[in-house]
Amino acid sequence: MSTTATNNKQVSRRRAFSKRDKITLGFFVGIPTALHLALVWIPAIATIGLSFTYWTGIQYSNIRWAGLGNYKNIFFSTPAFYDALQNNVIWLLWFFLIASPLGVLLAYQIDRQIRGHKFYQSAYYMPVVLSLAVTGIIWNFMLRPDGFINGLLGRDIDNAVSFFGNYDINIYVIMVIASWRHIGYIMLLYLAGLKAIDSSLREAAAIDGATEWETFRKIIFPTMKPVNIIIVVITMIESLRAFDIVYIIYGTSAGLPILGILVFQNIAGEGASMKGAAYAVILFVLSIGPIIAYLAQQFKEDVK
Amino acid sequence: MTSQIVVDKKYRNRQKIKDRYISLFIGVFALLWIFPILWTLWSSFRPYSEIRARGTFSVPERFGIFNYQSAISRMELPTYLYNSFIITVPAVFFTLFFGSLIAFVVSRYSFKFNVAMLLLFTAGNLLPGQLVFIPVFKLYLQLGDLVGNRRFLYDSHWGVILIHVAFQMGFATFVLSSYMKTIPKEISESAMVDGASVWRHYWSVILPLLRPPLASLAVLMTTWIYNDFFWALVLMSTDKKRPITSGLGRLTGEFVTDYNLLAAGAMIAAVPTLIVFLVLRRQFVSGLTLGSTKG
Amino acid sequence: MTTPDKLLSRRSVLKGSAAGALGIAAVGGLAACSSDSDGASGGAAVTGPIAFGARTVDEQPTLQLRALVDAYSAKTGNEVTYNATESNAFQNNLSQYLQGTPDDTFQWMAGYRMQFFAEQGLLVDLSDVWAEIGDQYDESYKIASTGLDGKQYFVPQSWYPWGMHFRKSMFADLGLDADSVTTWDEFLSMLDGMKSKGLIGFAAGDKGGWEAMGTFDIINARTNGYQFHVDLLAGREEWTDDRVLQVFKNWEQLLPYMNTNVLDLEWDGATQLLLQKKAGTVLMGSWFAGDFKAQSDEDYFDLSIIPFPEINPEHGRDTIDAPIDGFCVAANGGNNAGGIDLIKFAGDMEGVQAMLDTGVPMTSANRGQDTSTYDAFQKEQLAVMAEAQYITQFLDRDTRPDFAGPVVGPAIQSWFRNPNDVNKILESLQAQWEALPPLS
Repeated sequence: MSTTATNNKQVSRRRAFSKRDKITLGFFVGIPTALHLALVWIPAIATIGLSFTYWTGIQYSNIRWAGLGNYKNIFFSTPAFYDALQNNVIWLLWFFLIASPLGVLLAYQIDRQIRGHKFYQSAYYMPVVLSLAVTGIIWNFMLRPDGFINGLLGRDIDNAVSFFGNYDINIYVIMVIASWRHIGYIMLLYLAGLKAIDSSLREAAAIDGATEWETFRKIIFPTMKPVNIIIVVITMIESLRAFDIVYIIYGTSAGLPILGILVFQNIAGEGASMKGAAYAVILFVLSIGPIIAYLAQQFKEDVK
Repeated sequence: MTSQIVVDKKYRNRQKIKDRYISLFIGVFALLWIFPILWTLWSSFRPYSEIRARGTFSVPERFGIFNYQSAISRMELPTYLYNSFIITVPAVFFTLFFGSLIAFVVSRYSFKFNVAMLLLFTAGNLLPGQLVFIPVFKLYLQLGDLVGNRRFLYDSHWGVILIHVAFQMGFATFVLSSYMKTIPKEISESAMVDGASVWRHYWSVILPLLRPPLASLAVLMTTWIYNDFFWALVLMSTDKKRPITSGLGRLTGEFVTDYNLLAAGAMIAAVPTLIVFLVLRRQFVSGLTLGSTKG
Repeated sequence: MTTPDKLLSRRSVLKGSAAGALGIAAVGGLAACSSDSDGASGGAAVTGPIAFGARTVDEQPTLQLRALVDAYSAKTGNEVTYNATESNAFQNNLSQYLQGTPDDTFQWMAGYRMQFFAEQGLLVDLSDVWAEIGDQYDESYKIASTGLDGKQYFVPQSWYPWGMHFRKSMFADLGLDADSVTTWDEFLSMLDGMKSKGLIGFAAGDKGGWEAMGTFDIINARTNGYQFHVDLLAGREEWTDDRVLQVFKNWEQLLPYMNTNVLDLEWDGATQLLLQKKAGTVLMGSWFAGDFKAQSDEDYFDLSIIPFPEINPEHGRDTIDAPIDGFCVAANGGNNAGGIDLIKFAGDMEGVQAMLDTGVPMTSANRGQDTSTYDAFQKEQLAVMAEAQYITQFLDRDTRPDFAGPVVGPAIQSWFRNPNDVNKILESLQAQWEALPPLS
């Protein structure tokens, strides 16, 4: 990250803390940590534990040990799981190969301050600012059997193009909607990183006669390595964790199975079982790769 | 030398032409990008009955804010907006406050646990919410029973505020601590030489310098927390207490056939974040220091 | 027309619903919270505030429920807070809702869905209420309201049959006589005729994953009989049985007459097709009639219903899905006594009348509803019910919830996408049934 000389060295000499200071530090650290542990980490561990039990989630007396029962159920007896995995992979690939790169390129162009960049920045980021409930309503409007696109195509409710129901295309429809938000988000993150680049780098490149594309590829992009890693990790996590958009459009029906929906479908509602916890753990394990990569990148300097 | 300048100029002109195409291309897409929002806005001013009768692209006969009036009176939107407000504001405040505390401690002092803390919070931020919600639900009920009021945390705004703070603290900590790295250590050293307590160090010395990242974090957090609908959905049972994003879900079911009315409701729900965004555009990007790469 | 009593008593509602036949016995050692609440009937005066939870936000049913609640408040002076949640959100959250801070009285459904929560100790025993108002209901309703431990936990509100709905005007235009569409062959030739006129013969929507279960239920019951259907849902028969395959083969014959975007429409999309006269028939529960009435009286009076045609003469048209909706009292509510008082009012003719007075069509479970005041459509619903000997509650109420929604729903949806995969789908259904975790 930063290579300014003094940042790693905190206060050089450790002076003795007064009693008052110790108490203050105790609160500073203790309260947030306690809250974070109590509502995030401990429940997460509890859910992991629960994934090895059979339970409907209501009476504690009903908890029964299941061993790997839920996991076996998922891997061997639930075809929907593999459908969901496939959809998540498509989501990942799309974000990785299409949406995120577009966001990055967009950020680069806007950072170069091409004409209209102020408007573009706002326009592309606007979908990110909207809540997913609003996003769902907007796209429902556009793609319903009696919505805008079908109206444009001149189709009526009975022979409308089935954007959400047609299994062959609905994943891509959802990808478009998800990208609508994701591209703006990535653009913003990358912009934040680009602004921190020393302009002298770019000037040097211009003097050397490099084209814009060469400048980007050979100079800017490599320098942005830390931010690149952040983008990669966020892309992976967003595609694995995806839930909100699909829930808004399909509820918990199986219109588009993805891991996030499977978790919710099995952990909430009347048919609740700890199979949902097992799904959540699987989701967690799949995300852990990116999380660790991210953390390793962020903190490798601090660990030194 | 002159040939160099000539070459430069030719290159620059070519680039300028390329740039115009790029700008045009991006511009066209930018319009397409916001088109769905504009279409929804447009539709919100028309009555559904007219669309049904005369088609989606008919020239409007009736055009006005009647859907909005209807939405406000029938959808209880003011209640939902109010709920959103009283959830979002404290949540953002405490997230930033606690995040700054942790970031302060790990950035300005060298304790052995610093890295562990950062890891803990940053990883925690990335965990999916569904991983934790059943235990959190049970915990809230138990604590409620302990205190004698089942609605102490469950079905209460504080319960939702706390879970937001717990999850989002990590991101605030990360951004603030990486910003604090750019504050020269001399400032802290001289404060300590002057005998400032930890509290003074934080409150009077460091905190005032954190305006840029705090501002931009405030803007981001407000958007994220306002837009969440999962937690309010599962941790609240009284519909009237829910924020507008969860409330909209209800309205989608209720007014399933009157899309134009729904569009008005959606626009109303979008207004707070849109205002925050348009007014504070600069803060979105400026204070985020994701990595300074000074060559 | 025979009197309502005679009509209703000819049915036989499965004792304690199909799930009772699942052999789910009450588990010993359960912390039983299903005891009577404090100060039930005949004790101290009941005071408000009482919380009422509605499971719908749709306009027509809300009118009815608000009328009920207002009438109760007017009569007793107790304040009632009305808390409405959209039905999918309500169902998804019910478990949390009941464990946490539920309303005192809330809307729910009969069947295993109710018995399950009663068994978990989350519902209040209403046997005392039934002792008081039970004479207003047919025995079969009491059976449907009974939990697995023999006590009552439910008070019915209304029922509706699942049948073939159509518009009288359209049938007239096509020269069809509803009474002569009674067998499968007659039905298919009717659909042929509709198709040749450019209509969708059999409209359907299954975006929500549950709507098509009604079609499965009825085709299964028609093809293989009530007993097989019940046994299949209870796991005593296998999905890979040839008889289940036959159900899908029969269903496949209907596909050419259906709309192509079944998975893009929910139930209201399918009924819209009928409303807009683009479809000839739709198999649905009659609750949607309120939407027709809201559109115009003319549309409502044009609506009619007949039973799904006979497929197998051995079974005729002896079975029907007729889910019962009603109310329960939540054990964790803040005011159990108030909840019981309100539910008693709701079950009593006084409450029913308040709902009927709103003019929204409702087929009450209560004997007191004067069926002679039923309009033509409601009488037809009664006739459809009268013909049936066996009543089922609908697949997602008659079998395990962790099987119905997550497994059967998607299976049917994938069948719509690829009817040729039927064997694979059935094998998978059976495998997933066998892999279900044991009920504790």
